[in-house]
Amino acid sequence: MISAAALAGLAAVSLASGDVALSPEQLVAGLLRRDELAATIVWQIRLPRLLVAMLVGAALSASGLVMQAYFRNSLASPGLLGVSAGGAAGAVVAIGFGWVGFSLLTVPLMAVAGALVATGAVLMLARRGASTERLLLAGVALNALLGAVTSYVLSAHTTTYERTAQVLFWLLGGLEDRTWEHVVMAVPILLAGALLLPLGRPMDLLSLGAEEAQSLGVDVRRVRRWLLGLSTVLTALATAAAGTVGFVGLIVPHILRLLVGPEHRRLVPLSLVAGAAFVVGCDLLGRSAGGLRLGIVTALVGGPFFLWLLRREER
Amino acid sequence: MSAGALSLKNVAVPGRLHALSLEFAAGKMVGLVGPNGSGKSTLLSVAAGLLPPAAGGEVCWSGERLAGIPAIERGRRAAWVPQEARFEFGFSVRAVVGQGRYAHGDDTAGVAEALARFDLERIAERPVNRLSGGERHRVLLARAWATGAGLQLWDEPLAALDPRHGLETLMLGRELTRGGRTLVFSLHDLRVAHCLDEVVVLHEGRLRAAGAPEAVLTPELLREVFGVTARVEPGLTLFL
Repeated sequence: MISAAALAGLAAVSLASGDVALSPEQLVAGLLRRDELAATIVWQIRLPRLLVAMLVGAALSASGLVMQAYFRNSLASPGLLGVSAGGAAGAVVAIGFGWVGFSLLTVPLMAVAGALVATGAVLMLARRGASTERLLLAGVALNALLGAVTSYVLSAHTTTYERTAQVLFWLLGGLEDRTWEHVVMAVPILLAGALLLPLGRPMDLLSLGAEEAQSLGVDVRRVRRWLLGLSTVLTALATAAAGTVGFVGLIVPHILRLLVGPEHRRLVPLSLVAGAAFVVGCDLLGRSAGGLRLGIVTALVGGPFFLWLLRREER
Repeated sequence: MSAGALSLKNVAVPGRLHALSLEFAAGKMVGLVGPNGSGKSTLLSVAAGLLPPAAGGEVCWSGERLAGIPAIERGRRAAWVPQEARFEFGFSVRAVVGQGRYAHGDDTAGVAEALARFDLERIAERPVNRLSGGERHRVLLARAWATGAGLQLWDEPLAALDPRHGLETLMLGRELTRGGRTLVFSLHDLRVAHCLDEVVVLHEGRLRAAGAPEAVLTPELLREVFGVTARVEPGLTLFL
């Protein structure tokens, strides 16, 4: 309830603030299309940006929560498996080789493809054995490999300033110039989030051990497949819509667990709402600080906060 | 078909367990003994359906092939307690015990009773990752109890417990078997063997002997399997 109210409040402030500040009356008039200038600002610029921010936040936060339960490690994150790196590599390849001209959707589609390839590779490596250690090591290796791909494309194929700027957008993560197309692209996040809701209780059991979960009646293989699939899709869609945005999947579930405890029946819906609020808040902060990129803000806010959490936990 | 609570036919696990066949009757309390690495945990994992036996082996619960029993039903019919109790997340003791009800679709039935039986009421709201090793084990035992499963498979339930809780756990195990349930558990403390209906001795992954404790645990076998000399005379015995 509180996080939903926080999200609504942040959303309203986010719509109202910017280069042209809108009063509450102007904002309502804009939303209802009674004021042409306000309507243009709200509907063409701020609303798509806000919606993308919400969807990306929800996706990354839920994805992080799922991975933490999956790996039984509260420090796991979407970046861990190399899924984010896969998405970024896909996007950077598309830009570097100049495929952007074909369609506006090329870059996001390549991001999704990259993320799926990364997850596919992890699954292939994990099929024999499927132990957590194996998966984690596969993620480390993939991260290094995909990082090399990205660096290569960056150094060899981004010959123009424009392309370099585009690549940087993906690597830093941002919400600039998001349009309704990006919103449409990210809408499946809602479906993936909804599919995650009934998995709360099996996630509880799984987070205490796969064998134990199985002995208690969880169809571990099936549940794990769903969890990995959904978290990959969530990360891929978020990366497609806003580039690589770090720390959200790490920080939000961690804070929520401290606030409401470790039960996933509550954490899953909360992580969707609180993740959305967190990214909208970070975006707002970045915009009011003179246009800081989203990825930079989440790292600036998230990094120190996370270190503080770690220190607190150690005591 | 015989309807023993648990039957293992020609069950083997490469490198860990040589092919063996065993039958466990309903209502029995059976102890699994053997030196470290003799295959006790492997046997329990196979019996619980967590580790598939090599081709040709078969596990049956009440005469029904385990392979044909769906995951959710397995959770209602058998409970398994691991040897190591590690928790990454800070679920409350009550929540973890409530997980025993997963396969029944609830998380409260019998939980209060299980907490009381295993002396956990006092710490029911504490996070499990802040408990001592023995306390964590009692949480897992209480969770197994809460499942209400007819087949209970416990891997070294007594090793981490103090004398009082160890004895209480044995008595709770006996209560389960009196109610017609079957309890198979591994143990190292042979002094409690006289409480058991049957003993199964494993040695280097092979079935060495099985039967009534006094018939099986002879000085000759103890010397051969464990390399110890046993004096069969009343020694220290603890009662509640």
